[in-house]
Amino acid sequence: MPFINFATKEINCKIVYYGPGLSGKTTNIKWIYDHIKPENKGEMITLATETERTLFFDFVPIEVSNVKGFKVRFHLYTTPGQIIYQASRKLILKGVDGVVFVADSQEERHDANLDTLDDMLENLKEYDIDIEDLPLVFQYNKRDLPNVLPVEVLRRDLNRWNRPDFEAVATKGIGVLETFKEISRQVLQKLKK
Amino acid sequence: MLSLRPEEDEKLRELLTELNRESKSKIVLLIDKAGQLISRSESPAFSSDDITFASLTAGNVAASEALSKLLGDKNLNHMFTETEDEGIYMILIDDKYILVSIFDKNASNLGIVRVKIKKYYGKLVELLRQIEERIESESSVTEQIDVEDIDLDTLFE
Repeated sequence: MPFINFATKEINCKIVYYGPGLSGKTTNIKWIYDHIKPENKGEMITLATETERTLFFDFVPIEVSNVKGFKVRFHLYTTPGQIIYQASRKLILKGVDGVVFVADSQEERHDANLDTLDDMLENLKEYDIDIEDLPLVFQYNKRDLPNVLPVEVLRRDLNRWNRPDFEAVATKGIGVLETFKEISRQVLQKLKK
Repeated sequence: MLSLRPEEDEKLRELLTELNRESKSKIVLLIDKAGQLISRSESPAFSSDDITFASLTAGNVAASEALSKLLGDKNLNHMFTETEDEGIYMILIDDKYILVSIFDKNASNLGIVRVKIKKYYGKLVELLRQIEERIESESSVTEQIDVEDIDLDTLFE
């Protein structure tokens, strides 16, 4: 749910990066954080284990102030991907305005992609969020690895709603910005409706 | 969709600033449960990033709430976190918002903060309900927002 303050002329939106464990959600928002101008970003928060696995969530606030009159603030969150953190994932989806589903393109991780998508649908249902109505982008990450599934297979199995999708190598920043721009565009578009 | 009109923003800010002053807190914040900062007291001395603080507070409350549900308990009402020098007191309002007071333990204490929050709680709930009623009665606020010419390229180096 976006929050609009007409006094300070601010719009706040929440974007969640969802996907199976080790698919590159944190890598996505870390890349964005590292490449954004200092004046446009706040502090990045990472709640991770000692081995850098996300434990609860990562958070990056981004401010866009060159919009006519209004300042838009995107709050980017990642979810913990591992199966055991189901309860935490649900908490992070609360009040979500847009979702980026980061899939792992490797063949052996495809079952994890499908399980996580089911888990996401279940959680959205519990918040009464209709996926047809929700800004959503798919990202097929790790395209540089040797054992990846063809994009057509990933698209057929995951992107059942024919939403915009992107191939990515998040560690090199390939596809990261395109994904972020598309989800931001959709979130703002929905705001205008 | 939650929105604040300038006069509502001012009223909220005044109320939180008054509460902040009386409770001798460092800052008082009003956050929604999704982690958005709605309003804060005028506290120029508070230098931490309030946006990040709001997000972490909501995460903290959400986790504690889930814990209490797991224990078969009813909803969480309030919680208190203590550091060496500071106290952070969080109380839920209408199960939608979180009111947070951060105070220096040398300047105030949990008892004072709770008594002062109790004093202002009713006013705050009333104000928030008025805002919600106004939002419900409006057909659309978004036509007053021009977000057409957003250029995300300028964000990056």
